[in-house]
Amino acid sequence: MILNRYICVKQKDPKPSKLQGEFSFREKMIACHDITFRYPGAETPLFDGLDVVIDTPGFHALFGPSGVGKTTLAKIISGDIDTFSGQVNAIGDMPCLYTYNRERLPGWSPVGRHLEKTTPRGRQPLRDELIDHFGLSELMGMRFAQLSMGQCNRANLLRYLLQDFRILIMDESLANVDEPTRQAILYKIKSIFPEAGFLYISHNVVEVSRFCDQIVVFRGAHKSPQTLRVAGQDHHENQPLDKRALERSMLEIMNAA
Amino acid sequence: MLHRRIFQFLIVYLLGIGLLFGLKLALNLSDYVIPGPIGVWHTGQAEFPRYMGDVMDTFAVAVIGQALSIMMALAVGVAGRRATWFGSFIKVAAYNVQAYPIVAIAPILFILLGDGFLTRLFIAAMICYFPLLLSVIGIMSEPVADIEHFYRVTGRLRWQLEVKIRAFENLHKLTTVVSGSATLAMAGTIVAEFIAANAGIGYSIRIALYQSDLSKILVALFIIGITLSLYQGILELLGAGLKKTWASG
Repeated sequence: MILNRYICVKQKDPKPSKLQGEFSFREKMIACHDITFRYPGAETPLFDGLDVVIDTPGFHALFGPSGVGKTTLAKIISGDIDTFSGQVNAIGDMPCLYTYNRERLPGWSPVGRHLEKTTPRGRQPLRDELIDHFGLSELMGMRFAQLSMGQCNRANLLRYLLQDFRILIMDESLANVDEPTRQAILYKIKSIFPEAGFLYISHNVVEVSRFCDQIVVFRGAHKSPQTLRVAGQDHHENQPLDKRALERSMLEIMNAA
Repeated sequence: MLHRRIFQFLIVYLLGIGLLFGLKLALNLSDYVIPGPIGVWHTGQAEFPRYMGDVMDTFAVAVIGQALSIMMALAVGVAGRRATWFGSFIKVAAYNVQAYPIVAIAPILFILLGDGFLTRLFIAAMICYFPLLLSVIGIMSEPVADIEHFYRVTGRLRWQLEVKIRAFENLHKLTTVVSGSATLAMAGTIVAEFIAANAGIGYSIRIALYQSDLSKILVALFIIGITLSLYQGILELLGAGLKKTWASG
């Protein structure tokens, strides 16, 4: 069942070897070409011939105001939406997972037991390490409903990080998490999963500028091009932060939007 | 929960009785039409043991019929929860059959099966089955996306887990539906007894009706109401207990 979520979610052309002579379609981590999508009942399409490319693995972002289609594109990439036209390719032989901040864990067992049950074999050490770094050690005996919103989001993200994935789309997955914890979590994810691809959806311009490598800025369907790509600082722990470069990234993002 | 149910019934019953006595006073009606409080009390003392036995007889049939309906509704509801042709067929069939007054086919059952236990059981089960089925299908076919998403994208969502998630998330609704169906089952059994049975409180009420003895009917209604309130209260308590046990599992 997961297999059909891997690479080609939907293709008009079965042999999309080159697009516009610029790049090899299959070599990019994520390549969306000519995506057109309209929600049922909507008068205008949300995307009209949208092209989005993320070249390399790493920590990237989808940024833009509410309603411009960040979540929709994320769902198109992950295969949760398949009623679009155009082509989507994601590299690798493992699934592209999409997680969002309103997800819940079942209420019939404590968070710790749920994580035990959903941890693939051999990843228990990773689970324990992540639980510790996510600041969830004390909460393993509690029910999901007893957690705060930030704790819920951390527990939810943690279980996704334990799964097989090539790309993980985090749709406001760290919402309601305090800034120091969020920062520690992002550094940890970047250090543990250097080969994986992450698409981080957030409204925090400082955060995406600082932590993300490439930032796809959504400008709305009425603007052309619909998205612009801005380089972020891709900051790692124990690495000096160029504050001027960070400010430049932030300005570029704001101008692009 | 239990005392609230009983309290609510007593309020409704006393209001009803009060209205009757009010009518009697206002219109100066004879005891033959509406008996006085003392007459009702004496009838209650005389008939209570026999009527209690009759209500228990009816109640037993209703409970068995309801249990059968719940099992069938759960099985068919779970099978028909998917957006497949079978699921659509079940839903359309349930909606259409539910729109028909099932009790109207009771005479056919009496002709075919006679006026014994089985006929009463069938009618009780049929009357509460379709509303139950519709509710179960409604609950089971509604995805709990915020919980199911993870299992779906990681390939873990088996049908058993899907049903477990939806049942757990809607346990309160299911309890309410099951509790409400008790009234339907009891009503179905009593109606069956009105029509042609030879036992049960419906049968006794029919005799009281032929005798134009409103006291007996009021006593029967009291015992039916209090029994049903107790039963529904117990069902709700069981539902709450189940949720608590499950959630602390």
